[in-house]
Amino acid sequence: MRYAMAIDLDRCVGCHACSVACKVENNLPNEIWWSRILTVGGKSMDTPEGTFPNLRMQFLPINCQHCENAPCVKACPVGATYKREDGIVVQDYDKCIGCRYCMVACPYSGVRQFNWKKPEYAIEVAMGNASVKPHQSNVVEKCTFCSHLLARDMKPACIDACPNRARIFGDIDDPNSDVSKAMKGRNHIHLLEEKATKPSIYYLT
Amino acid sequence: MTVLTNTKKSNSINLWNIIFAALILLGAICWGFQLTKGLQVTNLGTSNMWGLYITGFMIFTGIAAGSLFFASVPYLFNFNEYKPYSRITAFTGAVSVLVAGLFILVDIGSPWKAWLYIISGNFGSPMFWDFIILTSYLIISIIFTSQLLKVQGGEKDESSIKTIAIVAFIAGLLVVVTSFVFSMQVARPMWNNPAQSISFLVAALVAALAIQMIIVSILNRIGYTKMSPDLFAKIAKVTAVLLVVQLIIVVGEVLIGLYPGAGGGYDATLWLVAGKGAIGFWVEMVALIAAIVILVKASGSSEDGKIVLGAILALVAIYFIKSNFLQAEFLNTLINMPGPQMFGDAAGRYIPSLAEIGLSLGIVSLGALIINLGLNRLNLGE
Repeated sequence: MRYAMAIDLDRCVGCHACSVACKVENNLPNEIWWSRILTVGGKSMDTPEGTFPNLRMQFLPINCQHCENAPCVKACPVGATYKREDGIVVQDYDKCIGCRYCMVACPYSGVRQFNWKKPEYAIEVAMGNASVKPHQSNVVEKCTFCSHLLARDMKPACIDACPNRARIFGDIDDPNSDVSKAMKGRNHIHLLEEKATKPSIYYLT
Repeated sequence: MTVLTNTKKSNSINLWNIIFAALILLGAICWGFQLTKGLQVTNLGTSNMWGLYITGFMIFTGIAAGSLFFASVPYLFNFNEYKPYSRITAFTGAVSVLVAGLFILVDIGSPWKAWLYIISGNFGSPMFWDFIILTSYLIISIIFTSQLLKVQGGEKDESSIKTIAIVAFIAGLLVVVTSFVFSMQVARPMWNNPAQSISFLVAALVAALAIQMIIVSILNRIGYTKMSPDLFAKIAKVTAVLLVVQLIIVVGEVLIGLYPGAGGGYDATLWLVAGKGAIGFWVEMVALIAAIVILVKASGSSEDGKIVLGAILALVAIYFIKSNFLQAEFLNTLINMPGPQMFGDAAGRYIPSLAEIGLSLGIVSLGALIINLGLNRLNLGE
């Protein structure tokens, strides 16, 4: 069994709903984003590529790629980053010494984020799921594929939040899973394929 | 830094030690501030996650390795005229390991968890092996210094230190393991090449020689050591040759980066030579070339300040080589598209914060104080 996520780039409209759902579900501190929508070609976020009237909008959702050959797992000097049997790359906050070497090793810039200060939140009341591990200062954190939801046979928060159903999740080893079905007959790419990290995120083109 | 062995100059000793102690106190306050507020008091961020502390770590690991190497060379190759200086060199190496270790300790977010290196080390991580190397440097340099002192005191025969000299020589060369921390990362194309091993080794040797030239030059003036101008000039020329090798590597990297005319490597190199990183790069180039010219021409006499000036410029060049090495890569990421702003990424360039500078000054001053005390208490001179 190996969890994987397909992201249909033709369906993504750049609404950032997945980012917000992730933020709420995981009670992410201020300035921490595990899932972000990047704008392709524009000079700043949510701006089109090209010159009027020849404009084009394209988005690239990005979060931890849960790589099969994960550079972060190799790099972590104390084993705080490790890979589960189901393919999820996990960050153990209690073990993380905060050296940020995993961030250096990860080619997908920004998917691993560091708590540079004591976590602060937009509102005083904790949001999201109570079973999410409490955030700690001075450690690296990242997308968990909402493993707390998977433990209850639910999907990651970003999947159901997407209004265009651009994100599909499931066991890629199961031909009848949502993700396997979504990929049938479709071309896909991996981000930075030449780095041989073998990501579990498949971008459908 | 100065070392004075007679009583009439004890006021100077006290003055320097007081200055070092004051800077150590400043560093301790900065560290306390950083531990209380978190690493947000640095100017680091999600993209440029390593800065002054890691640069300091690289430089002092280099000094430690280079010092072990050069302390062993006179005994392995029978350069008798340099043997009296091996004690100072080996001792400087030991202190440099301490300084390098402190730079790592203050850089990690949770230094109280550093013991996990020992009980939970990941053998596949280059950083874990770097920790092993650094620990072995400390042990080897302490043993080597102690053996050299015993030879000096007549307690041991000179031939008996051959083994530790060989170990120190090999350990010095193993500074390439530190380069693996960087060059093994596929995420960082500018680092991901074997030239980094040579660059790290050369930088280590240059930094070690530069520190030795500065220390021995000061010691010569006060009569603690009596290195002849001829020997001094030879060290300066060896340093200049090593700097030429470093210059070739730097120029090669830049030309290889610029030649394609497009792409990630080109953008990062352009950022370095003509973009936001240009000031650091051109200071590096000027310091490199100036150091080479000055050290080649230096006569080596104690009155000739060129040796010290050249050595300082060499250290400045090494600092910027290491700093630019980090920032050119961090601030030009592989996936570089606009999105939600991440912590600390607004500036697009990295200048250390006052807290980082204060803490780094404190760490270096601690090293200087220990060297000063060591020179006074141990029989390190001629």
